Amino acid sequence: MLSSIAKPFAALALAAALISIVLAALGASPVGVFAALGEGAFGNWYACVDTVVKSTPLVFTGLAVSLAFSGALWNIGADGQLTIGAIAAGAIGPHLGNFPHAIAIAIILAAGSLGGALWGGVAGWLRARRDVNEVIGTIMLNFVAVQALSWVVHGPLMEPSRAYPTSSPIARAAQLEFYFAPSRINLGMLLAVVLAAACYLLLFRTGAGFELRAMGRNRRAATFFGIRIPALTFWAMTLSGALAGLGGAVQISAISHRLYEKLSPGWGFEAIAVALVARLNPLGIIPAAVLFGALDNGSQAMQRTQGISPELVQVIQGLVILIILAFDTPAWSGLREQIFGAPPDAAAVPPVAEMPDA
Amino acid sequence: MLRANAITKRFGRTLALDAVDFEALPGEIHALVGENGAGKTTLMNVLAGSLAADHGEAVLDGRPLQAGSPRAALAAGIAAVHQSPMLFERMTWEENLALGGFDTGAGALDLDAIAVRARALAAKLGFEMPPATATVENRSVAERVRLEVLRALSFNPRVLILDEPTSVLAPSELTAFLDLLRNLRGEGRIVVLITHKLAEAIAVADRITVLRRGRVAARTTPAETNEKKLAGLMIGEIVTQPAASATPSRSGDPVLQIENLTLDDHVGRRILDRLSFRVAAGEIVGIAGVDGNGQTELVELLAGVRHPSSGKITVLDGSPGSMAVIPQNRDLDGLILDMRLWENLVLARPLREQVTSHGWLNTSHAVDLCRELIDRFRIRAPGPETIAGALSGGNRQRLEVARAIASRPRVIVAHNICRGLDLAATAEVHRTILDFSTGGGAVLLISSDLDELLAICGRLLIISRGKIRETNPGERDPERLGLLMAGARD
Amino acid sequence: MLEAFLTSAITMATPILLAALGELIVEESGVINIGIEGAMVAGAFVALAIAYFSGSIALGLTGAIAAGVAINAIFAILVVNLAVNQVVTGTAVSILALGLTGVFYRKLFGVTGMAFMVKPIAKIPLGPLARIPLLGQVLFDHNGLVYFTFILVPALWYVIARTRYGLRLRACGERPEAADALGLGVIAIRWQALIVSGALTGLAGAFLTLAYANTFVENISAGRGFVALSVVIVGRWNSWGLAAASVLFGAAMALQFGLQALGTVVPYQLFLALPYALTLVVLAGFGGQAAAPSALGEPYRRQ
Repeated sequence: MLSSIAKPFAALALAAALISIVLAALGASPVGVFAALGEGAFGNWYACVDTVVKSTPLVFTGLAVSLAFSGALWNIGADGQLTIGAIAAGAIGPHLGNFPHAIAIAIILAAGSLGGALWGGVAGWLRARRDVNEVIGTIMLNFVAVQALSWVVHGPLMEPSRAYPTSSPIARAAQLEFYFAPSRINLGMLLAVVLAAACYLLLFRTGAGFELRAMGRNRRAATFFGIRIPALTFWAMTLSGALAGLGGAVQISAISHRLYEKLSPGWGFEAIAVALVARLNPLGIIPAAVLFGALDNGSQAMQRTQGISPELVQVIQGLVILIILAFDTPAWSGLREQIFGAPPDAAAVPPVAEMPDA
Repeated sequence: MLRANAITKRFGRTLALDAVDFEALPGEIHALVGENGAGKTTLMNVLAGSLAADHGEAVLDGRPLQAGSPRAALAAGIAAVHQSPMLFERMTWEENLALGGFDTGAGALDLDAIAVRARALAAKLGFEMPPATATVENRSVAERVRLEVLRALSFNPRVLILDEPTSVLAPSELTAFLDLLRNLRGEGRIVVLITHKLAEAIAVADRITVLRRGRVAARTTPAETNEKKLAGLMIGEIVTQPAASATPSRSGDPVLQIENLTLDDHVGRRILDRLSFRVAAGEIVGIAGVDGNGQTELVELLAGVRHPSSGKITVLDGSPGSMAVIPQNRDLDGLILDMRLWENLVLARPLREQVTSHGWLNTSHAVDLCRELIDRFRIRAPGPETIAGALSGGNRQRLEVARAIASRPRVIVAHNICRGLDLAATAEVHRTILDFSTGGGAVLLISSDLDELLAICGRLLIISRGKIRETNPGERDPERLGLLMAGARD
Repeated sequence: MLEAFLTSAITMATPILLAALGELIVEESGVINIGIEGAMVAGAFVALAIAYFSGSIALGLTGAIAAGVAINAIFAILVVNLAVNQVVTGTAVSILALGLTGVFYRKLFGVTGMAFMVKPIAKIPLGPLARIPLLGQVLFDHNGLVYFTFILVPALWYVIARTRYGLRLRACGERPEAADALGLGVIAIRWQALIVSGALTGLAGAFLTLAYANTFVENISAGRGFVALSVVIVGRWNSWGLAAASVLFGAAMALQFGLQALGTVVPYQLFLALPYALTLVVLAGFGGQAAAPSALGEPYRRQ
């Protein structure tokens, strides 16, 4: 257990060191900045709650990404999948006024999942049946989704007064309400945690999850043992999309209540950092999401008190991903061998990506 | 003179070359023979600079070669024609050759001039060139070999190393090719010919070095030896007396039936040609053959990874999961080295089904099963949670055998199952296979190791160039069988 | 009206084509660089900052080149030397560069939202050619970067298809093991490709700030880096194809302004989505991937 946390911690520490250099170059104080981040994220009760609110979409997208990555399916399209899920939720939301609360919530969330599932499924089908690289596929679909959102809020779903490019607000019944107002704690967070547990069970306690992980680590061997790669690819991408889409629906239902352009500030990409820090373990997604949610939340305070723009968080994300990838490269085993001599039981197989021990 | 001094090379745990000394003289054709896995290709790669040896060095005309640099090797005058294709498929043949020595390097790239020079050299050698600006993609294998030889010769090398160049040539082309080698020798070059075709080696070589399991087994000349002796040296200790435990084939009911199985590749070359045979319950049938005659593809067909162009594979009296396949490339195809032992175990569908109910994987059940198998098959491992990559080669093989047997198949297909194992481990695996067949299972053993086959197989088939032939029952002369395997005509 | 639209199409197409041509070189060597967006934004920002503070466009352009090269160098170390997953690395580099430029922009120019303008790069009408009706204005009345891009298309075609270096480049993308066995030096060539590409992409970014918007705003690249990826695919890894695809997508982008103004029934978003949708169609339907270099995207390490 300890060794599996060591790597992400080391990566974060190295990232912090590099960030400090950047900050120094900008004439800011690294200590001051980190303190401001921490203060902004956890300084008081409301900050903590807001951190959790900001972490919630990262759990959904993080799960989506880590699930796909476990199968060596590089889903860079969580943003698009989340967006389409949000569109579905935002489209059906205004019409749920006459439903009982629980049903309305169920419908809006289901709509979001289906929307995301569709978007992920398209990329999955393209990969499974047309051999279209899923990276290109999901990235392209991201942009199509952005345009789709732009279109609906300027067009078919635009709110009736046509004054602002947003959609009509969703019905009260379909809104996930807040507890302990004015905090924004809502059931979406609970749902995220439950899903993380469910994903963990799926990945490590079911036959399907096993097949996905086997495909991710060694496609050839998986084929040899009769695992049907195209079908698995399609369903994994569909499920991944569904998770992201659900995240989009939760955002609409709990927080924004309506559609507007630029719904996602890059959750889909941030999710990659989250997934890698969590080492693709769904349970690890929760603390990793909270970490990055904290950074997002704290960045506003950081901007106020230290004058560093919130984009620093993106720098952290990028650095963390690069460092983790660099740590995992097989090139290091060659270097290690040169320095320490070949270990007696060396296996010459390059890792696909760092995989969790569960 | 080309010398290799005490070359040692390891890949992970495998010792590919063990302090090998090699020497070739100008104006000589030196044949390097041995089975696949003996280390010939590795030695060639070291000499040609593609691979850096762990210890030892290569020396040409007294000057040591820079290790691990193909450019240095080419500059020093060593050119190699590799066994696996090193042509750029989607470029034209002129472009491929331009990347060799035909390009003067000065001025603009002139593909026409290169083509002219290439055709001249080809004419001298008796080659036909493909039509102008044809890409390499759809050329025949023989044409590719010629292009590669041409490209190697364009460097005007002192040393030309060829790795199994004739395995794809038709008999008619063979004579011309051997003459080509003699011409090169006459020009004072050093020609190193890597081959498993003993007849050719004897026909054309001045000296022969035999490699076996990473070591030099013998150095000889055609005058001092003959094909039979070479086969023996290549293959190793011949067990003249099949072990008592080899059961003569009991004619039980056929379990595995192969009918007219044919496989063509995407270019239309025939890889497997109307294979027909069957394996009965309680039988151990061996398919003997040197690597590269279609065995890998046959195993892939049996595993269901590939589909045949025509023909049928039937497992009689059993469900689809009742054939367990142990592939040759255990680390790539048979195991997932990053995963734990019990996870590797449940890769086999029948075992996975055993520990899964309604989609739920019962992890503790799987772990228990793994522990049980570790005990039963005496796999040396800390426990079921060990990562497979941490196991030694022998123990990984035990795991694969254990997995195959535990899935309760009707047929086990094993490909080069004992490659890389020491004698004790080999005996153990054989014992397991024999027990399985005694219990009524059918076994198809595909191997290039004749000892192994003779020791435990009841019936023996020979595969050569994608065709299967039965041997006479009781035909047990290992030298003769070795010759048949090595491609001699009947 | 038509003139304005076509001119705008060329203007829109230029930065995309520049970046795409750079990516073409990289992909021919066998590497796929999703981090183009990052190099482009870095070039855009550095060009503006240097031009603003120094008053010199030339210095700004130089800075843009350096920035693009630096971003690509980070990518190269990971992908070429350490043989790491190319797509995740490219994505991370993009995020990193976007973040860095944002942070530095705010620090240097403040949060006031005031746009810091620079004088645009001068247009160089090509004398008599510029006076040809319609074509003259559309093709021959642009700034130097546009002309540079025009020339780059045939030049790059020639280098890749007809020169020795181009041959070696393509060999690396076709079968790196064979290229190394012939002593071509795959690692060195891939580095060279990434450096040249970094320079071109940096210039593409510089175009955005110094010629197009004359200022820097958040998200100035607006996904153009990814459009460049599409252009390489839709253009079938051929310089002329890239040029055609860039103009097509440039026209689509130019169209969106016109349509917005006209308020037509056809949603302008359709045109903005066109490059991406088209890429998928090409890849899915017309054996798109088959035209790519065979070893594209596969991590390669010498044994």
